[in-house]
Amino acid sequence: MASDSSPTRFNNTPSSPDDSAFSSPIGDTFSSPNKRGRGRSAATPAYDTPPHPNSRSRFASSEATPTPLHHAGRPTTPSSTSEGAPSSEAGDDMDEAAPTFVWGTNISVQDVKSAIQMFLKNFRDAQSQGAEIYEDGKYMKAIHRVLEIEGEWLDVDAHDVFDYNPELYGKMVRYPLEVLAIFDIVLMDMVSLINPLFEKHVQVRIFNLKGSTTMRNLNPSDIEKMVSLKGMVIRCSAIIPEIREATFRCLVCGYFSDPIVVDRGRISEPTLCLKQECQAKNSMTLVHNRCRFADKQIVRLQETPDEIPEGGTPHTVSLLMHDKLVDAGKPGDRVEVTGIYRAMSVRLGPTQRTVKSLFKTYIDCLHIKKTDKSRMVAEDAMEIDSGTQKHDEDVEFDEAKLSKLPDIYDRLTRSLAPNIWELDDVKRGLLCQLFGGNALKLPSGASFRGDINILLVGDPGTSKSQLLQYIHKLSPRGIYTSGRGSSAVGLTAYVSRDPETKETVLESGALVLSDRGICCIDEFDKMSENARSMLHEVMEQQTVSIAKAGIIATLNARTSVLACANPIGSRYNPRLSVIDNIHLPPTLLSRFDLIYLILDKADEQTDKHLARHIVSLHFEDPELAQQDVLDIATLTAYLSYARNHINPQLSDEAAEELTRGYVEMRRRGNFPGSSKKVITATPRQIESLIRISEALARIRFSEIVEKHDVTEAFRLLEVAMQQSATDHTTGTIDMDLITTGVSASERMRRENLVISTRNIIMEKLQLGGPSMRLLEILEELKKQSFAVEVHLHDLRNAVATLETEGVVVVHGDSVKRL
Amino acid sequence: MVGPMYDCLANPLGAIRLTFEKAVGSGCEPSAFDGKDWGALDVFREFLVDQGNLSQVPVLNSETLKWVQPNTLVRFRGMVQDMLGNEFYAGAYKDGSGWRTNKFGDDSQQPIDSSPDVRVWERRLLYCVPVPGLNTWAESEAASEATVTSMDLTSQQRDKRQRMDAESMDYEVCPGSNIVLEDSPSAKRMREDGHPSLSVQLSDLKPEGPCSSTMMRPEVGDSPSCLVKVYDTRESELKLNDIFEFVGVFTIESEPVPADDGDDIDLTTGFRNDLVHLQANKVPCLHCIVHRKLAVSDFLRSSPIIEQSKHVVMNTRESLLRHLTMLLGNDGVAANYMLLHLLSKIHARVDNVAVGKLSLNLTCLSKEALSVFGVQLCNALRNLLPFTDSIPLTVNYLNTACLGPKKDYQRNRLIGGTLQLAEGSHLTIDETQLETGTLNSVGIENARLLKDLVELQKVEYDFTYYKMEMAADVQLLVLSEGKSNILPADIVLPVRPSDVSRPEVVSAEALGAWRWYLATMRTLSHTIESEIQEVVEKDLVAARQADRRIGSKEFSSLLTMGRLMSLSFGETTLSLEHWEMVKELEKLRKERIN
Repeated sequence: MASDSSPTRFNNTPSSPDDSAFSSPIGDTFSSPNKRGRGRSAATPAYDTPPHPNSRSRFASSEATPTPLHHAGRPTTPSSTSEGAPSSEAGDDMDEAAPTFVWGTNISVQDVKSAIQMFLKNFRDAQSQGAEIYEDGKYMKAIHRVLEIEGEWLDVDAHDVFDYNPELYGKMVRYPLEVLAIFDIVLMDMVSLINPLFEKHVQVRIFNLKGSTTMRNLNPSDIEKMVSLKGMVIRCSAIIPEIREATFRCLVCGYFSDPIVVDRGRISEPTLCLKQECQAKNSMTLVHNRCRFADKQIVRLQETPDEIPEGGTPHTVSLLMHDKLVDAGKPGDRVEVTGIYRAMSVRLGPTQRTVKSLFKTYIDCLHIKKTDKSRMVAEDAMEIDSGTQKHDEDVEFDEAKLSKLPDIYDRLTRSLAPNIWELDDVKRGLLCQLFGGNALKLPSGASFRGDINILLVGDPGTSKSQLLQYIHKLSPRGIYTSGRGSSAVGLTAYVSRDPETKETVLESGALVLSDRGICCIDEFDKMSENARSMLHEVMEQQTVSIAKAGIIATLNARTSVLACANPIGSRYNPRLSVIDNIHLPPTLLSRFDLIYLILDKADEQTDKHLARHIVSLHFEDPELAQQDVLDIATLTAYLSYARNHINPQLSDEAAEELTRGYVEMRRRGNFPGSSKKVITATPRQIESLIRISEALARIRFSEIVEKHDVTEAFRLLEVAMQQSATDHTTGTIDMDLITTGVSASERMRRENLVISTRNIIMEKLQLGGPSMRLLEILEELKKQSFAVEVHLHDLRNAVATLETEGVVVVHGDSVKRL
Repeated sequence: MVGPMYDCLANPLGAIRLTFEKAVGSGCEPSAFDGKDWGALDVFREFLVDQGNLSQVPVLNSETLKWVQPNTLVRFRGMVQDMLGNEFYAGAYKDGSGWRTNKFGDDSQQPIDSSPDVRVWERRLLYCVPVPGLNTWAESEAASEATVTSMDLTSQQRDKRQRMDAESMDYEVCPGSNIVLEDSPSAKRMREDGHPSLSVQLSDLKPEGPCSSTMMRPEVGDSPSCLVKVYDTRESELKLNDIFEFVGVFTIESEPVPADDGDDIDLTTGFRNDLVHLQANKVPCLHCIVHRKLAVSDFLRSSPIIEQSKHVVMNTRESLLRHLTMLLGNDGVAANYMLLHLLSKIHARVDNVAVGKLSLNLTCLSKEALSVFGVQLCNALRNLLPFTDSIPLTVNYLNTACLGPKKDYQRNRLIGGTLQLAEGSHLTIDETQLETGTLNSVGIENARLLKDLVELQKVEYDFTYYKMEMAADVQLLVLSEGKSNILPADIVLPVRPSDVSRPEVVSAEALGAWRWYLATMRTLSHTIESEIQEVVEKDLVAARQADRRIGSKEFSSLLTMGRLMSLSFGETTLSLEHWEMVKELEKLRKERIN
């Protein structure tokens, strides 16, 4: 931007001795006549930004006292082809010896100038105030820095301007062309004071406006105002070299003309040689390498999806980038742009004076910030794109208020997938997953993950997939994949050959892509064995290691896994153990913090609920049905705030409770009268418990994990475990079931069966005698007072054990004793 | 409204300017009209509605395009296919001493630079296309309708009308039945509610009021795409894929616009003109004065049955059902399901669930059977519904077709895919031709799009850097040999044709009645009484207790069927009788499946 401001400076500040020195090279060059007339005429009466009555009254006086200023002003005043500002007016308005007003406004140049000077000199950060009052202000330091590194611009935070002088801020936003021009002048004055020999032209770049608008809200009243927009770069033009000043040479005598500065987008080619002696006609030719060019680029910005209303397509807007801003954004980048919204009239033809009634609009870009980048720095994918800043200030309060609600936990639970029925404890678990625990990295290098992994196993039609979809929608960095369609490499990372350069490149898979997010894997059971085994590393170490084709790498995959699976045979078979039902390797299972068994119980009450829900869905206004729940936007805001700002620590009380509970869990399998030891909990569970209690504290925005968080964590684990690790013969929690696949009592039962089978075989069969059919043995077994039902399947297993012992031989259905 | 007679038809801009000058003359500052009307709309409303001159407004199509003069009033009926954003223009400017306006026009003649006072106003650009899958009868009915109403006009307008008639005659299909159908009640209704509703629409700019269906007429013939410039409307009023009728000033960009890429770095502008290709193709442009959202029923001729008497509805239902039964080879169950399917419409969306859809998968159709039924069925559907389309699901098609709409950033335009359909369209997917083969990435994407459409009634629009889901309301009929796994429809029904009959000749009246029936019944609202609700709930619970496989999806389709069943009888509350019918139907269907 700033380059174009130079003409203005030229106009406005006769006081500045340096003017001519630097203004001419960077003169206004811009294409269309009205486009670049930063100064006087740029106040564009055409657009009616300034209030008319004001300006009129000023005319009278200004005409009376013309100042030398005009002369400076005129040359750069594009004589208003489009704006139609008669140049006389344009020149006149600005003077009145003492207070110079910007045309059509009540802005006094002097006032603004001194205000800016004060700001640059005196502004100090809130923190540094007081302490180092004798030190230079923030921007004085910044100017020094710019001089040291020979920079070309000075970034000015608009918030600082506002804090220092709200009036100046208001003027700047409303009349950016004029105020920025003054800003540049003041800045250059200061620069030349500090270092008179500094040659570069330093420009001001404003960023971080108080309010940002959306693309579709831009309207005619925003023209010539400073605006700030978010969007996504979709196209960049090639870099356009734009001529700023041209030098001509006479073909006849070789005389070089002085550089001719672009005026109103054109260069007037001398028709005859300027050398007195020569004066040849039409002999001047352009000398390309003596001309000065500036970079220009046109970039198209499109709305990001979150700003598009229902039933609309994204809007786009053109950005004009200059000099250093060129190539600042690439297609696909999400950027925040501060600039001046401008409208330009289009001529009917290149030679015609008439213009179309249409305007082309674009944003003259002052500052561009990549928002994606900042997200990377923030290191948390849960942080949503849309206005984290706004969030910090305005919404923080709301969130804090929300978090104080006594029923926030239940309310959040209700708000999570409100149209999915019941499953409240599952939702609580998912909520914990969304909030997550604290990741811990010990100085020794050992790290403990903070992400909570959840597995949902359940009957078809229990809305598992819907839950998954919902969570996927909620977490921005989430990846949703279906087990059936995922391969190991698709989940982790793969090496491929770049078609152009023929180099091997690393392509991230779903798990790596969802680093710091949630990876939702549907149909986990249908995933290939190979793919599943890749998850081992991810779920505990949270990294993905690959060693392929000359690339050996370890990638971060700090992702929570949310998987859902159908039991084997698609319905849960209560006869089989959970492991048999889920049919997943125990090593993988133990890595899930919470395993929910969502069983479709033939419960009339739930059915009734479901029926009522669906009936109301069909016959009632859906708007009325949902109440007292947070909408998704609030939920995500709440979530991202909690994840970013709350890092709960275990209180002593909670730690004690944790220990006590854990000991009790381990002891529980040890019930009186029984000699069998059932392992109830493993150290992995205590880690899970810590994570879950931390997440619970986060939900409340509490920095301390309280005792009741731990109690709730135990409850959640128990709810999940009771379902998933209940030994169906004893009814106790049995972690063995999860870790080895066979419960202690089941093991004992099998042993008993083997013993009694052996007894029968010993009794009935002769050594080397006739064989006996399995069914007959089964009959025998049943005759004996065996409390438990024996299945042929179990018997087969028992006989197989005996066969390995070398007691019997099995041929099909017949058993022969050896 | 009192005022001088304006020639709204031939010189709408004159009328607009006159009213503007009058408004300014009466002491209003032009700045007061930022984003507002100054009374021009009243003139047009009076002209179009109160005087019933709408039928005189030529419809923009490939025929009329040849003779319609620029800067005259035309109308255009189409679907909003893309939104091209806002455009700023010099709305009012001072020319010498007086203010002038450019609103509703492309006036580029005036050298504006002579005037310092310019008000910049904005307008929205919409790219509209003819409704996808619009069937010929819907066009021709519209044509005949226009002719008929114009007959009522006073003699002084007759000469103009004759020219119009000559134009529309070519498209007329059944001119005989028109006069009978033109009913005085409809004309009366137009006067009674047409006026208030329209005035609401025009002055307050509320979203589409319930305008009488006779007020506006659809256009004739294969109309071209049209760039519509809309003034002073709220964004929520015009949505993508909505069908609108626009009445406005017709212009065509006449000056040649350089379209080559070199223009991209044109130093005078530096901006590529997004509309270059549009103008290069000479896309007609319409400066919309009045617009109205159209529903399916607007594509019918004025309702043959004004009173929805129970008797008439029943009769129509019976005859339609007979017709469908015959089409489906005497399969009554299938015909019943087909009827419900044709009446389905999404009436609510809760999160991801589209309530009210009833996609139908007819199975047991081999290629041979389909050659008999399929063609008949498609023809019949084409005759019954205004917008229909069909997709042959083959591997090759999936791999090559462009189903989802996609943004082309080179042209800055949305390229409409096959699935960019208007609300209430019907889509037949023929899976019988599917053979084994390999899908490429396009094929997989297309299959996923179709599946999403069937399951969620949503279509993903590809904006390269991100995708956007747009809600759709499309009736989907899948024809397949076995149960389709690619497209999980709500109802899977094996067809049991028993006899192949030649297609009967259907009278125009019957067709008209059926069309009216289908269009009207599906828009009826529906409620449920608490007693019935209890019965339904009980039935659902019992069904679930009996068969655990029944989940919320089955409940949903059962309830949708209940709703549609009573709608098919013209009832607005669910009765026990209809609920029983639905259960009976389901029983028959279950028997077939097992």
